Order: sequence, then structure tokens, then C-alpha cells
Amino acid sequence: MNIEKVVLNASKTDCTACSTCADFKADNLRHALSRLGGVSKVKVDEITGKITIEYNTQKIILSKITERIEKLGYQVEILSREEMR
Amino acid sequence: MKEHAKGVILVILLGLFASVGVLISGTQVAYAHEISIALTLVAVALGYRIYLHGIRSLRHGNVTAQLFATIAIFISVIAGLVLPSASATGTAEAVGYLTAAAIVAFIILAGMTLEGYIIHRTRGALEKLINMSPTTARIRRDGAEVEIPIDEVKIGEIVLVKPGDKIPVDGTVISGHSTVNQATITGESIPAEKTVGDRTFAGTFNERGALEIKVEKTAEDTTLAHLIQLVEEAQEKKAPIQNIADRFTTYFLPIMAVLASSVFAVSYFALGFDVALARTVTVLLVACPCALSIAVPVAVAATIGNASMNGIIIKGGTHIEKLKDVKLVAFDKTGTLTVGEPKVVEIKTFGNYSEADTIKYAAIAEKFSEHPLSKAIIAKATEMSMKIPDPTDFKTIPGHGVDAHYGNKHILIGTKMMETEISEEANQLMNRVESEGKTAIPVALDKTVIGVVVVADTVRENSLEAILRLKRLGIKTAMITGDNMRTAKSIAEQLGIDEFHAELLPEQKVSVIGELKKGNVVAMVGDGVNDAPALANSDVGFAMGAAGSDVAVETADVALLGDDLTKIEYAISLSRKAFNRMKGNIVYAFIWNIVALSLAAFGILNPVLAVVLAEAGCISVVINSALLLLSKPKPLAKIKG
Repeated sequence: MNIEKVVLNASKTDCTACSTCADFKADNLRHALSRLGGVSKVKVDEITGKITIEYNTQKIILSKITERIEKLGYQVEILSREEMR
Repeated sequence: MKEHAKGVILVILLGLFASVGVLISGTQVAYAHEISIALTLVAVALGYRIYLHGIRSLRHGNVTAQLFATIAIFISVIAGLVLPSASATGTAEAVGYLTAAAIVAFIILAGMTLEGYIIHRTRGALEKLINMSPTTARIRRDGAEVEIPIDEVKIGEIVLVKPGDKIPVDGTVISGHSTVNQATITGESIPAEKTVGDRTFAGTFNERGALEIKVEKTAEDTTLAHLIQLVEEAQEKKAPIQNIADRFTTYFLPIMAVLASSVFAVSYFALGFDVALARTVTVLLVACPCALSIAVPVAVAATIGNASMNGIIIKGGTHIEKLKDVKLVAFDKTGTLTVGEPKVVEIKTFGNYSEADTIKYAAIAEKFSEHPLSKAIIAKATEMSMKIPDPTDFKTIPGHGVDAHYGNKHILIGTKMMETEISEEANQLMNRVESEGKTAIPVALDKTVIGVVVVADTVRENSLEAILRLKRLGIKTAMITGDNMRTAKSIAEQLGIDEFHAELLPEQKVSVIGELKKGNVVAMVGDGVNDAPALANSDVGFAMGAAGSDVAVETADVALLGDDLTKIEYAISLSRKAFNRMKGNIVYAFIWNIVALSLAAFGILNPVLAVVLAEAGCISVVINSALLLLSKPKPLAKIKG
């Protein structure tokens, strides 16, 4: 198994940052990402907007994941990547 | 769910610490006040999510209720810890300030959690779609049947589906016969017949018979998977009305800064420091800019979710706003208002020949022809359970008909080649039929006309109701078609369509749409493939029968997954309702804020009441928006403009 952990920052220009909106967005992101094949763990911090994802590099490539986030209207920035095992 | 559980636990803990703190302060326990202060401070600290949100909003240059709450709670805590220490009754007063801060934090956190939950529920429709996604499939591998995870199913493999099971893949039936309920994909509750050669969709429900299906798409590429992604994306796209709400919220910070400092200044000079502090805190707590900004996105998500449950994919908030203004709906004819496949609608016979004779000889002659009209005749023969023998020989004359022999009989089919031999009666019939926009096919046996088969494209079952529904809403209808004038006129009259434009080339359809758009918001309905340019040029492009056609879903603003045209009226009615709800919510939230702020400024509210009021305002807006999810299509009789 080749699991990689990546931390992303997803931001949206129209974000009003109020908690309800933030919850709403985090919820949507969480769902969309956890259903991608090969993604094993998704954590979305609704306060900082940081997304932590663990995925199997043999099943999905990172660009597929970021593409999905961008399709949901976010700008994505990769903060860190590390191999787990 | 885990997130909500965590939120609820935080709220409960905060409440516990706060109430134990308050209770202890009233007892004779040693250091009662000190313990109480410590406990309430922990309670206030447990509201950390509020402060993090508040501080984050500041970093983004946004204003939120959490920001004001953070400031208000911070002021109370400082006041509790610093101010009373000088006086003799210090600790009791400190408890008072801190308790207020803890209660305020409790109410806000509870409100946030509740809102989060309601919003999560707004996604219920999507959740339902996701739950329809199958997780395993039973396949045949190396002669044995095995159940494997859906991710591991490969294209070209054979999936076995028992009666009563969910169909796990997009594919083609290669053996078996059954009925399949496709409501998940098409929104149509009447089950579809499936037999060899028919396409199936993942997430639909196999009812009666066993099916073997050849897999055509991988799990993440199925129609259902695409639908879920589309809905997710659509729910994130904001509606233009959101800009109004956003503009309000940008003015909120400066207005609040001015208001809070003037309330403090005025009451300080008039009523002293304590009152001034309490009023300022109350003003900060009662403000609820969130109600303004959350109203629209939740309504958009609920509306799109609702539509998707009805087989309608609205691809974003913008289209909801366009839909509500639609004044004219233009339809493509062939394949949209009509089935798109010619059918035998009438058989007229002459002499001693029966309908069956006419169809039989026609079918023999047409047996090997690929022409759509021939197919209609063969279909009719099959429907009458005839066995069609092969012709001895046959010759197709393009544009004229067929010349065939069967045994010693000579069969002639088609208009032109028989002009000289046609009877007056048959001629009159054919003229009448053609004036109705139908096609008459004379059948001659040994140079005598034995009958005329009338073939026409038939109107879809629900086209008439679809038009009627739109009329009830006060919406005009038009038909634009490449077909001839007569056919167009006949169909338009049958359906009661207000205007029609016939004999158009695809690019002319675009310019007709342009004409119609003068003074009207125009929706165009088509199959999304042939009429893509016209759809793109209209204000709202509807593609119908879009399930399984990625192109159609891609080009359309609104995709009708099934063939049910009555959904157009529902999409428009739902959008009108949704928009009114959004507008109503914004106005309501605005008034709520003004009233609540005035009450707070004049000292009519205390901080706890203020925060209850603010949360109530925000939650009612969220609920009101989320309720759009429960809207249902109305029966025809109840539709009013």
C-alpha cells in the first residue's frame, strides 16, 4: 500500500466566513472528497479551511483530487505532502 | 455525523460547566466564588469555536455574528476579572459577568451546532442519491459467481442481477427480461421494460426478472456518479441575489463600529459605565449578519436538491433566478414534443382486403429496408403478431418506394411509382392525410391499391399536459422545428402551442430564439445534442432524456433526466418559490437586525435575551430556506399563475 498524506488549503472568494457558511462548505467538501476512489481519509477544518487527505497513490493521483476541489469552485494550494508507508 | 456528535458534546459540556458554576456560587462551600469563577471560565473557553470563527472572519475582512460575540464575550470576561476586583463585593459581581458570558457562549454554540445540523440535512437529497450507489456487484468470473466491491468491477465483465436487487452498473442487458424502476435517475416512477440490448443505470432497481448485464462504465464513471458530482457542484454555485446580501454584510462592520461606540458614549455620559458596558455588549450580541448571508446558499442547495429528487438537474443558483423569470418556453418538435419515431397510426383498406392483409404485404416488401417508415410498418406487423415471410425479390427505389415479389404476387409500395393507378377515393384520403402532416403509404398488390398505411410521428403522452401546465403559469409556448409547415401546424394545433416556426435549419433555430428573446426570458427545450446551439442561445436551456447522455447534460442549464416534459413547469414553479423565499429571507433578516439593534441600543434587551433573539433570527432563516427541500410538484388542477 502506498498511502500519501496531503494537506491542502481551499479558498473561495465569496466566502463570508460565518460559521454556518463554513460548516456548509466543509460538509460539501468532505462528502465530495471521501467518495473519490482511493481516498481513505478526509478531514476538513471548517475554521481554517485546511483539508487533510490520505489517499492510495496507486489508485488515484493528486491532480484528480485537486481537480475535484476546483470543480467545486475553490482555489487549491498544496501545503504539504508526505508519504505515510 | 461524527462532526455533529462532537459539536453536541461541546455544547453539553459548556452547559454543564456553566450551570455547575452558577449553582456553586450560591452555596456556602469554601471558596464558592473562586470555584464558580474557574468553572465558568472553563465554560467560556469551551466556546472556542466561536472565537476561532470570529478571529478568522477578521482575517478575511468579513463580519460575522461570531466576531461580535467574541468581542462581547471578551469584554464581559475582562469586566468580570478586572473591574470588580477593586471593590469589596468583587467576587459576586465577577461571577455575574462571567456567568453572562458563559450563557451567551452556550446559546451561540448551541445555535451554531443546530444550524450546522439543519444545513447538513439540506443535503438530504444528495445523501439519498449517494445511498443509491451500489457498493458491491455479483459477477461471473472463471465460471463462478462472486460478489466483489464495485470499484473492482471492470468494463466488459458480466454482472448478474437478481429480481429485487439494485442494478450496480451502467451497461447493456445481454440476457434476461425484467422491469426496472429508474426513478433514481430519471425521476419517473413507472418502471421501464428491460430486455436484451437495453441500457441499464447503476442505482436503479430491478423488479421482476433476473438480468445479465455487460458492464460499460467503471463505478466512478456511471450516470449516477456524474449526477452526484453535478449536484455537488451546482449547490456550490451562488445565485446573483447573493450579491445583495453580500453587499449588506460588507457595510455591517463600519455600521456596527459606529453604532456600538455611540451607544457606549451616549449611555456612559447619561447612565454611567456599567449600563454603557451592558448596552454595548447587547448591541454586539444582537447583530446577526449571518442570517443575511446564509439565507441564499441554503435555499439554493435545498432547491437543487429538491429538483434532483424529481429528475431535474439545475446547474446552479443563476439558473434558478433565470427560471423564475421565464415568459416563453420554446420546444423542439421531433424527439421532444413527439416520440421521434414514426408509427402506424391508421390503416385504410379497399375492396375485400383487411387491415392485416395490407400490413402483411407491406411488411413483406419492406422486410429488409432500413428506412424509418419501413421500421414503423414492421413494428406494426410484429405488434399484430404476424410472421413476416421473406420477399422472393425486392428493389428499393430511393425517394419512391419498394418494388417486390412474393411468390407470384407483385407488391408495390410508395406514392410516386403508382400515381397512374391510384383510385379517386385513395387519392382523396392521401390528400387529407398529408394536409394533417402525416405520411400516407399506398400498398398495391398486382397493380391494384389494396390499402393505405398512414404513418406519423406521435406526440408524447405528457406533452399536452406539459403545455397546459405552462399555460396555467401564464407562460407562452412556441415550437421550432426543421420539419415541414403542415406537420408543424398539425402538432402545434393538437397541443395548443401559441406559435410555431417550421422548416428551420439548426442555425436558423438560433436566430428564431434570438427573435423570441426580444422582450421575453426564453427557455428552450430540446434533446441537447442536435439543438445544442439553440439551447446555448436561450436564457435557460433544457435538455431532456439526458440520463446516459453526457453531452446533453453538459450543454444544458437544466437537464431533465427522463422524458417527462411536465417537469419543466415544476422547475419553473420551484424556482419562483425558491426565489421568493430567498428574497423574503433577506428582507426578513434585514428588518430583524434593525429592530433587534434598536431594542438593544435603547437598553430594552439584556445580553442573554439579545443573543437568544439573534440566534432565533438566524435559525428561522436557515430553516425557512431548508424547507424548500420538501416542496412537491402540484397536480395539474391546482396550478395557478
